[in-house]
Amino acid sequence: MRLFLSLLARNRLALAGGIVLSFVVLLALVTPLLPLADPDVTNTADRFKPPFSEGALLGTDHLGRDLLSRLLWGTRLSLAVGFAAAIIAATVGAAIGIIAGYYGGRTDNVIMRGVDMLMAFPYILLALAIVAALGPGLMNALIAVAAVNVPFFARNIRGITVGIAHKEFVDAARLAGLSDTRIILTEILPNVVPVIVIAMSTTVGWMILETAGLSFLGLGSQPPQADLGSMLGEARAALITNPHTSIVPGVMILIIVMSINLLGDGIRDALDPRLRSGALSRPMAATLVKRATPAPEPREEGVLTLTDLETQFHVGKRIYRAVGGVSLHVAPGECLGVIGESGSGKSVTALSIMGLVASPPGVVTGGSARFGETELIGARYETLRSLRGDRVAYIFQDPLATLHPLYKIGDQLIEAIRVHHSVSRSEARARALKLLEDVRIPNAESRLENYPHEMSGGMRQRVGIAMALANDPDVIIADEPTTALDVTVQAQILSLLNELRQSRGLAVIFITHDFGVVAQLCDRVAVMYAGRIVETGPTGAVLERPAHPYTKRLIACVPELGGGRRELHAIPGLPPAVDALPPGCAFAPRCDKAAEACRQGNIDLAGTGDRAVRCLDPEAPLTEAAE
Amino acid sequence: MGGYILKRLVSAIPVLLGITIIVFAIMALIPGDPATAILGSFATPENVEKLNRDLGLDRPAVERYFIWLGNMLTGDFGTSFSLNRPVIDEVLERFNATLVLAGTAFVLCSIFGILAGVVSAARQYGFADKAITFVVLLGISIPSFFLGMMMILFFAVNLRWFPVSGMWPIFGDRTLPVLIDHLTMPALALAVVATGVVARLSRSAMLEVLRQDFIRTARAKGVPERGVVWRHALRAAMVSIIPVLGIQAGFVLSGAVYIEIVFQWPGVGRMLVDAILTRDILLVQGGVVFVAACYVLFNIVVDVAQSLLDPRIKT
Repeated sequence: MRLFLSLLARNRLALAGGIVLSFVVLLALVTPLLPLADPDVTNTADRFKPPFSEGALLGTDHLGRDLLSRLLWGTRLSLAVGFAAAIIAATVGAAIGIIAGYYGGRTDNVIMRGVDMLMAFPYILLALAIVAALGPGLMNALIAVAAVNVPFFARNIRGITVGIAHKEFVDAARLAGLSDTRIILTEILPNVVPVIVIAMSTTVGWMILETAGLSFLGLGSQPPQADLGSMLGEARAALITNPHTSIVPGVMILIIVMSINLLGDGIRDALDPRLRSGALSRPMAATLVKRATPAPEPREEGVLTLTDLETQFHVGKRIYRAVGGVSLHVAPGECLGVIGESGSGKSVTALSIMGLVASPPGVVTGGSARFGETELIGARYETLRSLRGDRVAYIFQDPLATLHPLYKIGDQLIEAIRVHHSVSRSEARARALKLLEDVRIPNAESRLENYPHEMSGGMRQRVGIAMALANDPDVIIADEPTTALDVTVQAQILSLLNELRQSRGLAVIFITHDFGVVAQLCDRVAVMYAGRIVETGPTGAVLERPAHPYTKRLIACVPELGGGRRELHAIPGLPPAVDALPPGCAFAPRCDKAAEACRQGNIDLAGTGDRAVRCLDPEAPLTEAAE
Repeated sequence: MGGYILKRLVSAIPVLLGITIIVFAIMALIPGDPATAILGSFATPENVEKLNRDLGLDRPAVERYFIWLGNMLTGDFGTSFSLNRPVIDEVLERFNATLVLAGTAFVLCSIFGILAGVVSAARQYGFADKAITFVVLLGISIPSFFLGMMMILFFAVNLRWFPVSGMWPIFGDRTLPVLIDHLTMPALALAVVATGVVARLSRSAMLEVLRQDFIRTARAKGVPERGVVWRHALRAAMVSIIPVLGIQAGFVLSGAVYIEIVFQWPGVGRMLVDAILTRDILLVQGGVVFVAACYVLFNIVVDVAQSLLDPRIKT
C-alpha cells in the first residue's frame, strides 16, 4: 500500500489530478456552509451580469441567479450523481459478474449472453430508452447511466472471478464445508475489490460526463434544480450573447473529469506491474550506447572482432551486468561456438553487436565491436542499418515468433533483399525462390505464398536461414537456431548451415547451450558464465581437456549415445544474478574446488595461443590443440 | 470468405432478437397505464382506449411482442403520433443525416487516432508523445456538447469561418461544398473524444507489438525504422485496433446525439430526444431498434475486415 502511494505520488500529473479533485470535492462538501446567494432565487432585473461584477463574482444567468452559487450547488449535485451511478453500476455489475464467474456453467452462460446483448447497444440508445420509459428526471437519468455501465463491470469482474474460483484456497474453503455465500464474501470478494476500484476509477469520470449529458439534453435534472449539465443546457440559448453562462459550468465539468482521469490513469499505472518493470517501454531502433572510455583497439584479427564488450540492463535503480567485458573474433569461413547456460549473457553479446538489444533497458557501456574496419558500437544508425542483414545477418531461435505473422514468407524475403538492393520486385522474387531452394525447401514456388503459421517448425527455421542468406552476408550470427526444433530436424538444419558456411566462406558465430551441437559444427568455442568468457580454445582441445571447472561440468551434462552407463551430473546451484555478482570468480559458489583466493578480486583470462582460461586452479594444463 | 460472412450474419440473429426483447422489456417498464402516461392525465377515456387498441396494449405481453416484431420485419414500425407519419419514414430520413455526421466523424477519429497512437508509441516519452498524450487526455475529458458550443462561439460567431448550425441553409442549393461547410464543425467536435480513445488504444497496441521478436527480426534485416514502425508494427497492431474501432462506432453514434442537439443537425439522435420529451414511445422504440440493428451489422463488417487482415483467423 505504501509502495502504491509512493508510486502514485511519483506520477506528478496524477498527483495534480488528485489535489484538484480533492479541492473540488471539498468545495462541494462545504457548499451549504458558504455565504452564497440562494441558487434558485430569480431576479430578472439582474439578468446576465458579467463575471466579476458587484455581488456576483461569476455573474448571473438568464434569470438573474447568482452563477457562483449555482455552479457550486451544481457541482455538488453532479459529483453526487456521478459517484452514485458509479457505485450502483459497480455493485450491481460486480454482483452479476461474481455470480456468473463463481457458479459457471449454465448460470454463467445465460448471464453473459444477456450482458453481451446489452453491450450490443450503443450506450446512449439504452440510456435514452430507459429514460423514455421512466420519464425525464435526475433520479431516472442516474438509473439509466448506472444500468448502461453494469455490463462493463459484470464482464470485467466475471473474468477475474473465473480465475480466482479455481484457485487452491477456494477449493480448500469448499472442502472445509463453507457455504457458497460465505466463500464469495470471504474468499472471492476481497480479491475482486481492487479490480472493482480500478474499474471505478477509470469510469467515474465517464459517468459524470454521461449524467451531465442527459441533463444537458433536458432529460436529467429538472428546473429549478440544476446540475452542471442542465446549467449548460439552459445557457445554450444565450451562448452567443452571454457566453460566460455556458463557459462557467462547461469548464467545471472539464476540470472535474480531467482530474478524475489523471488520477485514474495514475492509479492504473501504479498498479500495473508491467509498467513498473519497464516492460511496456518500446525498444529503440538501436541499443543505447553510453561508453565512458573510447573504443579500445582490437587485439585480434577477424572479420568480426569484439573487444571488452560490456552490456548492462538498467531497470529502475538496479543494474544488471549481462555482458561484462567479452572479447571474441571470427574469421571468414570459421565457425565460433559461444556456449553457456541461459542467462550467461551469450545472446545479449550477440545482439549487442548490431545494436539489437532492447533499449530501454539495455545499454552498451563499453568496448568495441568491429566489422572489418567499421566500428559498430556507437556507430550512426544509418551505418548500422545498412550493415544489418546485408553484411551481418542473424538467425533467431523461435521462427514462429521471429517471422512476421501477417506477411507471406515470400514478401518477407523480398523485403530483406529490397531494403539493401534496388532491384525490381520480380527480380527479388526470383532471388527469394532461389534462396528457398538453397535451404532445400520442397515446393519452394508455392511456399512463397505461405504465411509462417502454415509451415512446420523446421521449415520456418529454413526460412529464417534463407532470410539471413538473402544478401550473401559475410557474418551470420545464429542465436540458438535449433533449440526449438526436434532432434532430426536439428541435425538437418545443422548440416545445412555447415554446408552453406563452407560453400560461401561465411563466418558464423553460433550461440548454443548444447556442447553436442558445438562439437558437430564449430572450429573454436568460447564458454560464457555470468557475462564473461571463462574458457576459450579450439573445439577439440576444449572438449578433450576442459580447463575451467565450469566447462568440465557443462561437458559432463551431455549424455553420450553408446557411451555406456555414465552418470549424468547436473551442476548444483544456479547461475548468479548479474545485478549482484560476487567479487572474484562468479562460479566459485558452485565450484567444489573453490578456494579463498577465488573469491577475492578479478581473475584474468590467461593462456597461450588459442587457449585461455579464467581460473586460478585449472582442471588441466593449457596446451595447444594436438594437430 | 462468403461462408464466413454468412456465418457472422446468422450469428447476429440472436443478438438482434435480444435487442428487440430488451427494448420491449424496457418499454414495458412504463409505470401505470402506458396510454395515460403517453397522453397525460387530461386524456379522455375514449382516447386512452383508442391508443391502447392502436398500441395493442389490450393483449398479453408475449403476444404483443410477437405482433410488434412481425410488424417490424415487414417494415411497419407503427405511426408516430407527434409527427403523424410512419415511424420508419422518419427514422430513415433522420438516420441518413446521422450517417453523414457520424460516418465522417468515425473516419476522422480512426485516421487521426491511429496516426496519433503510432507517433506517440514510436516517440515514447518524447515531446510528441507527451503532447499527444495531453491533447488526448483533454479530448476524453471535455464534454462533446461543451466543445461543440465553444467551437460555435469561436469559429462560427467570432471568426465566421463556418455556419453556426444546421445541415443545409434554409435557402440555397444543396451541394457538396455547402454540406462540407456545415459538416466540418460538428464532425470535428464529435470526432475529438473518439480520437482520444483510439489514440490511447493504438499507442498501447503499438507498444505491445514493438517489443515482439518479429520486430527485432525486421531490424536485424536492416529495415529502416520508418518501415519497422509503419509496415511491421502497425500491421500487427491493427489486429487489436480494428475491434476497438467497432466499439468506437457505438461511441460516435452516442456522441452524435449531443452534437446533433448543439448544432441543430436533423439526425436520429435529436429525433429521439424530441420523441422522449413528447412521449412519442413508438418513435423512440423504432429509432432505438433501428439504430442498434445498424450498429450490430456494422460490427459484422468490422469482423469481416478483421478476418481479411489476419490470415490466422479461420474463415
